[in-house]
Amino acid sequence: MTSTLHRETLETLAFRAGYLALFALLVLPLLVVVVTSFAASGRLAFPPESYSLVWYGEFFGDLRWLTAFENSIIVGVGTAILATVLGVLGAFGQEIDDDSRIGSIVGPLVLLPLLIPPVILGITLLMYFSELGIRGSYVTLVLAHTLWATPLVYFVMRSVFSRFDWQQLDAAADLGAGPIQSFVHVVLPNVKQGVFVGGLLAFIISLQEFVMALFLSTASTETIPVLAWTEIRQALDPMVSVVSTFLILFSLVALALAVLATNLEWVSRQLS
Amino acid sequence: MSEITLQGLEKQYGETTAVEDVSVEINDGELLCLLGPSGSGKSTTLRMIAGLETPTEGAIRIGGEDVTEQPAYDRHTSTVFQDWALFPHKSVLENVAFGLKMRGVSEDERHERAETMLERVQMGSYDDEDPTNLSGGQKQRVALARSLAVNPDVLLLDEPLSNLDKRLREDMQIELREIHEDVEETFVHVTHDQDEAFTLADRIGIMDGGQLIQVGDPDEIYENPKNRFIEGFLGDTNFVEGTVESANPDLVTVESELDDTLTIPAGEDHEVAEGTPLELSLRPEILSIDRLASDAEGTASEADEEHEPMLADGSVLNTVTGTVDTVLYRGSTVRYSVSVGDSSVFVERTDTTEESLSVGDEIRIEWNGSDVLAFHTDGTRVGI
Repeated sequence: MTSTLHRETLETLAFRAGYLALFALLVLPLLVVVVTSFAASGRLAFPPESYSLVWYGEFFGDLRWLTAFENSIIVGVGTAILATVLGVLGAFGQEIDDDSRIGSIVGPLVLLPLLIPPVILGITLLMYFSELGIRGSYVTLVLAHTLWATPLVYFVMRSVFSRFDWQQLDAAADLGAGPIQSFVHVVLPNVKQGVFVGGLLAFIISLQEFVMALFLSTASTETIPVLAWTEIRQALDPMVSVVSTFLILFSLVALALAVLATNLEWVSRQLS
Repeated sequence: MSEITLQGLEKQYGETTAVEDVSVEINDGELLCLLGPSGSGKSTTLRMIAGLETPTEGAIRIGGEDVTEQPAYDRHTSTVFQDWALFPHKSVLENVAFGLKMRGVSEDERHERAETMLERVQMGSYDDEDPTNLSGGQKQRVALARSLAVNPDVLLLDEPLSNLDKRLREDMQIELREIHEDVEETFVHVTHDQDEAFTLADRIGIMDGGQLIQVGDPDEIYENPKNRFIEGFLGDTNFVEGTVESANPDLVTVESELDDTLTIPAGEDHEVAEGTPLELSLRPEILSIDRLASDAEGTASEADEEHEPMLADGSVLNTVTGTVDTVLYRGSTVRYSVSVGDSSVFVERTDTTEESLSVGDEIRIEWNGSDVLAFHTDGTRVGI
């Protein structure tokens, strides 16, 4: 009895050590980035010889970086909105129309953009948008990022809808709710956490996408990954780390919001 | 007026036919139960009345208006679903007020009406409750209040009681009956439980294999089932196989598997011919039982009787003897399985003050031949 208990403790310990090591492996590079952002010298080295906030000052003083940040957020929000609308409607449509022929095609079709290398997508879109005369605008970046983000929102929503009790739609229709009323008053409130998570996912995808942005952006619409790449080619200074730190921070806030959104109702139920 | 007419209603899913040629008139203010085993098409029929399924063929009229093509949200019907389908993200009060909200009723007015409905189903103190925290019986009441709140012409109930335990189910049946008398709306209630149907219904429609086999008053259906399926479905009975031995104008005798010739008094225009294979239904309530005198002579004299005498009122006494095989206590009744010849029948005793029988007892089973129902081998009723 005691020996089995002992063995269980040992196994638990080994397991803990294992996943802590894995966790450390994932987090350490991020730590290096954050730490180097506080370097005082102009050389990107780890650990830095001395610490200061001088590069943060540089960042806030540099209009190019601030503009890139603004661009990233504009494109990110645009992508999040467009991809969420498309992904949610696509998943919903397929769910309520799943035995029709169109429904069975949508699933694999939505995946396609993920299977095409971003370089090819970027070049193709560049030619296409030039033809349309909207080259270099935010719209092109948002559309390109939406190509990538929509499948992810779509798959998140498929799994959310698979847990939705579809009889509620019958009940709503039965009580006099038309299709749009049903969607607004019954479907959306039930899946709002999923919608929120899908939207955040789309935002993060857009925030860190580089290849298509490189092809499609101009000096006035360039996003953070694009500017970072241009800068690194010229000089490898801690500015890159500062920008990365902000990106990490952004993603963490987004993640926290997502966790909060999914658990908010649970939390409020616990409190009341 | 909200009478319902179903005319040649048919629903196909690909190759399978769920509902086939269902036609019935449901009167205004009537409570009709659609009764049948699962898969008999009764829920599909109900969903077509609600507008949640579109019929492949046929027409539906409610209050004289053809609603066949009308979507569910335009019909003045309201459904209580089997697992109630309450909205989990809305409070109990909001659930009940939902239908009125969709009809554009102001918040004050719809909350007031919702509260009245909740009080009617004795859920008045649960306004702000989260429906997911309610018990099955409470959810059922809220679902009923939600459906009644929109003041429908027709209330459709899709086995709403089947997920409740027995005691609660019986209470709710009585309550439903009262609500029906109260609101004077047309109710269509779907169930697979014959007791529920007999408790609730003004009329019962029996469904099997997608078809509506018989519609009628509860006692009419019970006394006069149209086929063998209904006879077997409405309650336990003994089906005894046999062949017609002689078919006289006033008397039919059947050579049965009970090792004896059974006699059925017949009307003059009966349609039975000699040699026809039949199935006879001997319901436990028509069988009376008696312990045989233990002396061997008595047994012999009973068995010697070839044909039972016809009594003055036209009934014919049938008697068989057998041995008690098993005794099963079922609360208020005791059920005995009795082997008779090569076959076996079950009989019941409800009067527990009578002397109880035990395994191995020799007993005599008697019944009046005119109480027996006869069926052809294809299940149709034999007119005798």
